[in-house]
Amino acid sequence: MVVPEYVAILDPFAQEAQEIVRRSPQLDAMPPEVIERAINRVKWKSPKEMVVDLSASAIQAEVWSFYMMCQATAAVSFPYSREARLVTDATKETIKYRMYDLFKLGHEDLCLDVVKRSFKFVRLERNDGIRLGDIEIPRADYFKLRDRQLADAGIKEKEIDDRMLPQYVPKYAMRWGNLAPLLRHRLAELTKLYIVDGWAVITPHELWDFFANFIGVKTEDYITSLYERFSDTGAPEKLLNIGERISALIPPEAELRERFMRVPRGRLRPEFFPPCVKKALGGVGAGARNYAITVLLTSFLSYARVSPSGKAVTRMADFIDEISVVREEIAPLIFEAAERCNPPFFRDQPQEKASIFYHLGFGMTTEPRLEDSGRSKWYRVPNCRKIQLAAPPLCEQDELCRNVKSPLTYYHRRFVGQSSLGVGE
Amino acid sequence: MQMREATPEERKRFYAEEWSKRDLPDFILHTISLREFGFDYGEGPSHRYNQFMTVEQLASFLCNKAPYAAYASIALYEQPSMRKGWLKSELVFDVDAKDLPLKSCSCSGGVVCEKCLDEARRIAAMFAETLRSDLNLHNIHFVYSGRGFHVRATDDVVMAMEQTERTQIVEYVTGGVIPADITIALGYSRVFRERVARTFEHLGEEKLLKIRGMRKALAQQLIKEKEKIIAAVRRGSLREIEDFEGMGEKTFQQLLEFLTRLNMELTDGKVTTDTKRILRLPSSLHSGVSMKCILVRDIERFSIEDAIPKFMREGA
Ligand SMILES: [Zn+2]
Repeated sequence: MVVPEYVAILDPFAQEAQEIVRRSPQLDAMPPEVIERAINRVKWKSPKEMVVDLSASAIQAEVWSFYMMCQATAAVSFPYSREARLVTDATKETIKYRMYDLFKLGHEDLCLDVVKRSFKFVRLERNDGIRLGDIEIPRADYFKLRDRQLADAGIKEKEIDDRMLPQYVPKYAMRWGNLAPLLRHRLAELTKLYIVDGWAVITPHELWDFFANFIGVKTEDYITSLYERFSDTGAPEKLLNIGERISALIPPEAELRERFMRVPRGRLRPEFFPPCVKKALGGVGAGARNYAITVLLTSFLSYARVSPSGKAVTRMADFIDEISVVREEIAPLIFEAAERCNPPFFRDQPQEKASIFYHLGFGMTTEPRLEDSGRSKWYRVPNCRKIQLAAPPLCEQDELCRNVKSPLTYYHRRFVGQSSLGVGE
Repeated sequence: MQMREATPEERKRFYAEEWSKRDLPDFILHTISLREFGFDYGEGPSHRYNQFMTVEQLASFLCNKAPYAAYASIALYEQPSMRKGWLKSELVFDVDAKDLPLKSCSCSGGVVCEKCLDEARRIAAMFAETLRSDLNLHNIHFVYSGRGFHVRATDDVVMAMEQTERTQIVEYVTGGVIPADITIALGYSRVFRERVARTFEHLGEEKLLKIRGMRKALAQQLIKEKEKIIAAVRRGSLREIEDFEGMGEKTFQQLLEFLTRLNMELTDGKVTTDTKRILRLPSSLHSGVSMKCILVRDIERFSIEDAIPKFMREGA
């Protein structure tokens, strides 16, 4: 028989998991094997590593290590960084495999119980025909959906056997609105779903996929919220060390892929800037001028452009090869915004120009060179709360602001939401 | 149907004598203090950030100012006068007769006629039908906006959604993505077939010739066999179209993509994805065309007569 706490291995955000977290020791007293597990779990490959025993101690180590992994990652990285990506991807794979494994062992009900807490769904009825409430699903559709699933999974006809086939056969229906978090991240496509009367008809395989992606999104959000918290208070030293070890596990090919695919490193995309940054770029009045230019724009534009990772974020030179990034891409935007202020910022305070480069970590200078990077501190992006306090007129929230606490998170969220559209417009 | 600009005196008269708070739809009346209002005094909708705590306040404002145009946000805010504390936004589709990708009339340059208005009305009704039957939305309102129609859904499930979800709904409702299997009877494939069939029905030879690789003879043949093609699309049997003499796989794909792009133009997707948009206030006067912007209770029985203000009747 499966213990109730076992749901925590599928949903680390479930009530049962929260209970286990509450019992966790202080960071310094965390058992070494939990710490090792927190690091190793990002590179799990084999089923043996992913599956968890039924024992209370195994479940506990699983939950603690998951939280440890998230916190350590947040300590050394940024929202949507390569580290965060690595952790979410690993988490998705793990959850998906566990769902599959539990189904195979006949524990479908346990899985469905967990899924039911986040998604409203029903089973299709199969008597004479295939029914969803009052609606009859045409038989031909049923088989076409199955064949498409098999094709998408890359399974050839001669490979199909009775054991795997049920995974790819429509079996449940889920309220499409519950899939909003996945639609938001383009982890599900509305036009690829088979929706009838508000219900999306899905296969067990899709159920695992959706649920694993859903936990992935929650993990990413959790890391983001931790990042936002640490950017206020700073992260404990021990977490930094664990985080650096996780960071070191990023495979080089993933780094390359990320650079081009997902992380908005590279050309700045002003259309994804949050409202406060857009406002600051348009120039502001005397009251909020200094904060908007020197603090907000300087940090935001540099972090958004350079997108550093790891805790060594004191030196921009570790992440760029040419000073032109600063001189030709970041600084002009700041100077133009300063000019648009009323009155123009640098005209009456020319010394502030040097202060921009100071905040970027190049010391007090107006002619920054790459080798000067690290002479002063590279200031971090203030979080939303700080901006609201220091310069209230800058903050004009939109619907996304509601869910983020840092302008940088906003930028990454918009970027991720849009770039997956695959359109260049 | 007569459309001309209203004079300042006519605006004044409209708001003093004809405007009534009873013409405000309930979904706006009940949330009035949470919405941002915007006004146009003749130089564009530049007066924004207005908040009214009661409908009486709004009434006396309209009566006093008699604005050229009045708008309300589709979003609800904790502090609408600062656009702060976003709570949720209606899901809206703007179907503008003057921007339809294909028209059977010859209207251009912002002019609309009964014919293209009726086409816009049908598209709005069609969108609402998909929102109802597929996405199971039940609180769908239609507004005649002067040059077209707004479809406004206030179901909770969609009001909390962000840009990306809304983009996906636009794709679904317009038929803006080619499905993996067009032959599936229900779901999105059906929506896509219906939209493509409709778009093709409105297509002329000239438009077809804009497709890369489309020869004149083939375009003429396609138009001649329109009925047959539409029937084939509805059956999901695209093969028949691909097998047309002189078509070829490449041209067929271009044709399909072309039709899909036209589907997307049935509505302005930017309006749907912008959760902070302001829309013309139902009950207000569209001074550019001297028509009332009104809630349409039954889209099948819409009559432009209901939208004509008194001063236009008397003038006629
Ligand atoms: Zn017309």
